[in-house]
Amino acid sequence: MPDRRRAKEIVFQAVVAILTFSTIAPLLHIIFSVFVEGLPVLIKGGISFLTDTLAPPSDGLGGIGPAIVGTFVLIALSSLMGLPIALMTGIYSAEYPRSIIGRAAKILLQIMMEFPTILVGLFVMELLVIPMGSYSALAGAFALAVIMMPYVAISTEEALKEIPRSYREAAFSLGLSRAQVVFRVLIKMAKRGTLTGILVGMAKVAGETAPLLFTAGGSERIYFRGLNRPIGAIPLLIYQLVQQPYDNYHQIAWGASLLLMLIFLGIFIPTRLLLREVKF
Amino acid sequence: MKGVARSGISRVPIVILTLALVMLVVLSIHLGKREGANREEGGEIVLVGSGATFPQPQIEKWIDLYTKRNPGVKIEYTGKGSGGGQNDFKNGLVDFACSDPPLKEDLWRELEQKGQPLQFPVIIGAVSIVYNLPGVDNLRLSKGALVAIFLGKIEYWDDPMIKELNPKASLPHKKIIVVHRSDSSGTTAIFTTYLSIISEEWREKVGAGKVIDWPVDKLGRGLGGKGNQGVAAIIKQNPNSIGYVEFAYSINENLQTAFIENRDGNFVAPSPETIKSAISRVSANVPPPTEGYKEKLEQFLEAPGENSYPIIAFSHMIVWGEYSPDKAEVIKDFITWVLMEGQKDENIMTGYVGLPEEVAEIGLSAIEIIKPKP
Repeated sequence: MPDRRRAKEIVFQAVVAILTFSTIAPLLHIIFSVFVEGLPVLIKGGISFLTDTLAPPSDGLGGIGPAIVGTFVLIALSSLMGLPIALMTGIYSAEYPRSIIGRAAKILLQIMMEFPTILVGLFVMELLVIPMGSYSALAGAFALAVIMMPYVAISTEEALKEIPRSYREAAFSLGLSRAQVVFRVLIKMAKRGTLTGILVGMAKVAGETAPLLFTAGGSERIYFRGLNRPIGAIPLLIYQLVQQPYDNYHQIAWGASLLLMLIFLGIFIPTRLLLREVKF
Repeated sequence: MKGVARSGISRVPIVILTLALVMLVVLSIHLGKREGANREEGGEIVLVGSGATFPQPQIEKWIDLYTKRNPGVKIEYTGKGSGGGQNDFKNGLVDFACSDPPLKEDLWRELEQKGQPLQFPVIIGAVSIVYNLPGVDNLRLSKGALVAIFLGKIEYWDDPMIKELNPKASLPHKKIIVVHRSDSSGTTAIFTTYLSIISEEWREKVGAGKVIDWPVDKLGRGLGGKGNQGVAAIIKQNPNSIGYVEFAYSINENLQTAFIENRDGNFVAPSPETIKSAISRVSANVPPPTEGYKEKLEQFLEAPGENSYPIIAFSHMIVWGEYSPDKAEVIKDFITWVLMEGQKDENIMTGYVGLPEEVAEIGLSAIEIIKPKP
């Protein structure tokens, strides 16, 4: 009997291990192939790949400078728009979990998190792009802010809620006002969770394509020209390039993919490291 | 106490906010500078266009050549499909748009509420019939055979109808896989319009459009691919398949291309010569730029001429009759360059065909109409 049980145990473990591996295999494959295809492009292109503008079809590698700058501008700008609101929303729903607004916010944020991003893009197009009469960095960043906010708000809220009640009581007993308790004591303790949310949000929007299609407009030959003008982004550029039948465009797209992955991992890996140690 | 409380505030969001704010300030200064520069004599002028993906590589090439010669001008073109370009143009988001199909009359009337739209051809394209039959080059297809394949009436490659046309080829006894576009596509519209012209049965049973119900799908022998790229990839991966892609793709992807029976009964493959031959016979059908909506796809398909390739189409540029004074000058100069210098063989990408002079004239007549806004 024990033998059969052990055999079952082994079979079960083996099945789980295989399934786990097949779940992460695509990720490994993506990382591997992006490196294999992208690295030679980056090496061949050198520094000018990071600074030049787009090459004409079947004529060299050129560079993806405007898209890189665009991606960073969009991340910064969307953080500027989204983070303050999202942090406040998270604090509010953690502080007043039973109020109607607090409860509604929680549910709506979760819906927002899973909301099809292309619809966000369409919404911003109607709201900003058409009235302004141009695709713009502002509109792109706004769409990304909408996508970033629920991640930040929810993780802020959860981080605040995880703080044991006794700390809050201790803070109040020092005679601090509610605002002081939240902003001077609790936020500091919830720093890791909040920061994780912020970085996950940033990493998420760094790789978004769909919300930018109708808002940012794209710009591959012209560097950043102002908030009210079209702007490029790396994912948008990749999407444009792979649709064309030119070998050099596909190569540029691989190089851009590798850069995008490095930016994404550069934001994401520190996040995971932060998450590992939780202390109060 | 105060000191302790201060250090209690999380610094991270504040640091990020500060950084972002600093960046915003820098950006606004930059923005102010740019607008200042625009007003100055010889400042940088920016033109923005969007639309069809078919002419995109050619337009990128023109932009590259033109802006190298004119450093004060920057031009950006985004490929998002003919429909996307038409919408952008209507909403005033771009200075010019490109569209493969000519504009429809209702959109034209809507545009006329805002100003005078002008439409003219900038480049010629063709639809290639491509296939994957190892060892069988120069496949010949009559109109009847082509329609029968896409209707699904011919099931095997060694069908007598195909064999008769290709007596020397070793056609396999394999089922024909028909590959078509799965997305809404101007290429599909051109190809199905052509099939409707050459076959009454196709016109009645299937019809023409950007998206259609492919009879072969119901027979289980149809495959859909997204974009020309998708169709080309499926054909490369599947021996015994046949499909249609834009000429540029059949050339650049090195696909086997079929010879199609033309109006005069000769078998021709797409090439600059056969496409030009067809255009020269139908170019009189291009309407003046102010009446772009009068152009129809049908007018250019199945052109006469013994060496004419039957499935060709124009890709168009759409511009306004009025621009701000600085832009008017630049857009006129750019379009003139595209229609004169740009049409020379050395400036045309492989897979595209330049306009014959009489068609380029139509665009040049549009230039005359463009005026600076008073």
